[in-house]
Amino acid sequence: MVNKDNTQKKLPLEGIRILDFTVVWAGPFATQLLAEWGAEVIRVESTKFFPSTTRGTLARPSKELVQQGGIGGYPNKDPGERPWNRAALFNVHARNKLSMTVDLTTEEGQEIFANLVSKSDGLIENNAIATMERAGVSWEKLSKINPEFILVRMPAFGISGPYKSYRTFGSHMESLVGHYSLFGYQGETPEASGTSLFADPASGVAGALAFMNGLRHRRKTGKGIQIEAATAENFANQLGPHIVDYSMTKEVPDYIGNRHPVYAPQGVYKCNGQDRWISITITNDVEWEKLCSILEVKELNDFNTVEKRHDNHDLIDEEISKWTAQHKSVELMNLLQDSGIPAGAVMNEKDAFEDPHLQERGYWEELTHPEAGTYKYPGVLWKSNKIDNKLRRAAPRLGEDNEYVYKTILGYSDEEYTEYEKTGHIGMDYDGSIQ
Amino acid sequence: MFDLPMSGVKVLDLTSNAAGPYCTRLLADYGASVTKIELPNSGDPARKVPPFFDDGGSGEGSSLFMFLNTGKQSLTLDLKDDRGLEVIKRLIINADILVENFRPGVMKSLSLDYESVSELNNRIVYTSISNFGQTGPHRDWKGSDLVLYGMGGPMINTGHPDKEPLQLANYLPSFHVGATAAAATSIALWGAENSGEGDWLDVNFFETLMGHIDRRSTALLNHQYDGTISTRPPVAGTPGSGIWPTADGGYFFTTVLANRFPAMAKMIGAEHLLEDPLWATPAARAAPGRVEEFSAILILWMLEHTKSEIRDEVEKVGVYGGPINNIGELLQDKHFEERNFFQQIKHPVSGVLTYPGYNFRMTVGDQEEDISNRRPAPLLGENTDEILSNQLGMDRLAIESLRKAKVV
Repeated sequence: MVNKDNTQKKLPLEGIRILDFTVVWAGPFATQLLAEWGAEVIRVESTKFFPSTTRGTLARPSKELVQQGGIGGYPNKDPGERPWNRAALFNVHARNKLSMTVDLTTEEGQEIFANLVSKSDGLIENNAIATMERAGVSWEKLSKINPEFILVRMPAFGISGPYKSYRTFGSHMESLVGHYSLFGYQGETPEASGTSLFADPASGVAGALAFMNGLRHRRKTGKGIQIEAATAENFANQLGPHIVDYSMTKEVPDYIGNRHPVYAPQGVYKCNGQDRWISITITNDVEWEKLCSILEVKELNDFNTVEKRHDNHDLIDEEISKWTAQHKSVELMNLLQDSGIPAGAVMNEKDAFEDPHLQERGYWEELTHPEAGTYKYPGVLWKSNKIDNKLRRAAPRLGEDNEYVYKTILGYSDEEYTEYEKTGHIGMDYDGSIQ
Repeated sequence: MFDLPMSGVKVLDLTSNAAGPYCTRLLADYGASVTKIELPNSGDPARKVPPFFDDGGSGEGSSLFMFLNTGKQSLTLDLKDDRGLEVIKRLIINADILVENFRPGVMKSLSLDYESVSELNNRIVYTSISNFGQTGPHRDWKGSDLVLYGMGGPMINTGHPDKEPLQLANYLPSFHVGATAAAATSIALWGAENSGEGDWLDVNFFETLMGHIDRRSTALLNHQYDGTISTRPPVAGTPGSGIWPTADGGYFFTTVLANRFPAMAKMIGAEHLLEDPLWATPAARAAPGRVEEFSAILILWMLEHTKSEIRDEVEKVGVYGGPINNIGELLQDKHFEERNFFQQIKHPVSGVLTYPGYNFRMTVGDQEEDISNRRPAPLLGENTDEILSNQLGMDRLAIESLRKAKVV
């Protein structure tokens, strides 16, 4: 990595090797963050098992299904020959990571895995408990192979307790821990208010932080550690103020829509065009006066305290909406921010890529993937003053790094490698029986 | 006694409100010693955010503040006064981490920018948390959780397709950015301890939310791949997906995984559909009208069952879903109870209240280490004398003179 002062500097996690058993979003986000800062993250995969919602929702989706679009898209809506190497769902987070394949359901596979564990610093996973039992991942076993191993487990509800085996996505876990009672349109039910998936990124960050604490523990004690970062507990922590509130007031609050408990007005207002919106938060009287001078609606001038603005919020919203509906969201954002008012376009993907701030800061980075092509990706999430950190490589194709892992890391010979190809550990295609 | 991973790490906390304090609380939770610097008399503005325990705005009963500042120590200090600046500079010399979330430029105006701080201590990890980052055309723009979630996060995908985009529970964007800053700081600290050289980190809401995984980063790459502009998805996009009423509240299912529809059909006794060519394959189930047809069958079954009955059924067949609970129901939940998740923490003003437990648990061997409950949030300036005398060796006279001059 070349740096701002033109010297070679190591990324902070260079030399740390992490085995990646993560699926869907939460776990992969944890390993994405660690890989970004230099950890060697090796995805341990299998050609005989397709974990759903990871390298796409299906291994071999039909062209028709892909044409329907949706969040898990493919370049030019074409699944290609190996769809699992072309899914946006996977390629966005797997940048900088490596991929190897091994069949963990066989004894031979378990021997290879044990070899890998003995040569790695840790493992991160976020699977159903039963899936990890089948794969032979347990603290008891791994810590015997490598007493300095750091095992970070991120199942939805943890590895103990009545719900340990429940199958959930982050969004369901959010509903169980109470999030859906805390956001929604005023006067509406949860059914009419849509869903949230915020627990997944939250959990990913917690997983990365947990691993760092594991490294520190190992350095202090010389011993490994198992860390349990249950998605549900991490997210319940992030609902903390609401938990303390409830404990204080014993009240379940009503939905507040897009309003703010303290500031007023705050809302999301319709702008000119299809699905175009702007958010505005007035945090003090000065901002309000400025907004009034822009809106030029006489009656609004009277609402010169936050109490009055809360009392007349509906009326204020109506007047703001009349005005915003005539304007384009990004232009309004620029106008309001230039006047010192907190306002932001509700950005769609196009707005984001066109935003001059992100462009000037070099946020988007281009990566070339041999089977998906050349595209821009969201870059490294935070900037370092010392290291001009850039994405290093595109997402690995299934099994792309088998040769490096088997021969260089694990020390197997060419003959053994060929044998493992024959016995079904090494490959770059999912078994034909997988849909 | 379990030696916590961050014990021995000294953090100077120049943050306020929500994002910065969440970052430093995560550092404190795992053993770091966090000194929270607050303005004399007023303190962190979060102290003024309702609801309050005594509802009188004493500045010591805010649930938000109490939640965010457990395990920290409070030192009041006027940084605009030369003597205050001298105190913070002496603390910087021995600190491992400094976290701040002022507007960009404020730290420089206080002579506490990274350049000045690194001259005093070049090992320090200096983390700046801001709305838009330390450079760029939006650097000085103003933000709120709503504004920044709308710009950076997937708010365009949150809410009902026929209505305006919707924010999430209060503070979530701030806490996510704060947690990201804690991860960033820990990674940089590891590097600094190994290389002997610190770093300045620029963590901000806009880029953190833009790159976080939720729907956002996937949708951004998706747009690159096929030009899709996403919006709020229908509540029930595939047969069975969505939030449904039950005998005692709501229940939320996702069947987008093609292999979960059969399990759900079995669960509600509609196996016969799986033999029917109209329903047998994912492509058949994607045809217009299938969602509505299946909803009509599903709702009848849902209304005859309670949330807890459904949860047990779901587990047997392997459908992805969860009940819609409120915080009161969460506090009584058997799983969280059995895992001893919640903590009862006694605060001198508010008394004993329920707080959420730790974000993650460290276990050694087969035993979870008994990390005891957090200490309550500090009263304003509670630890001023202790810090000045223990860490800087100031005597009572010197401290009194600072207090008289309203520096502390």
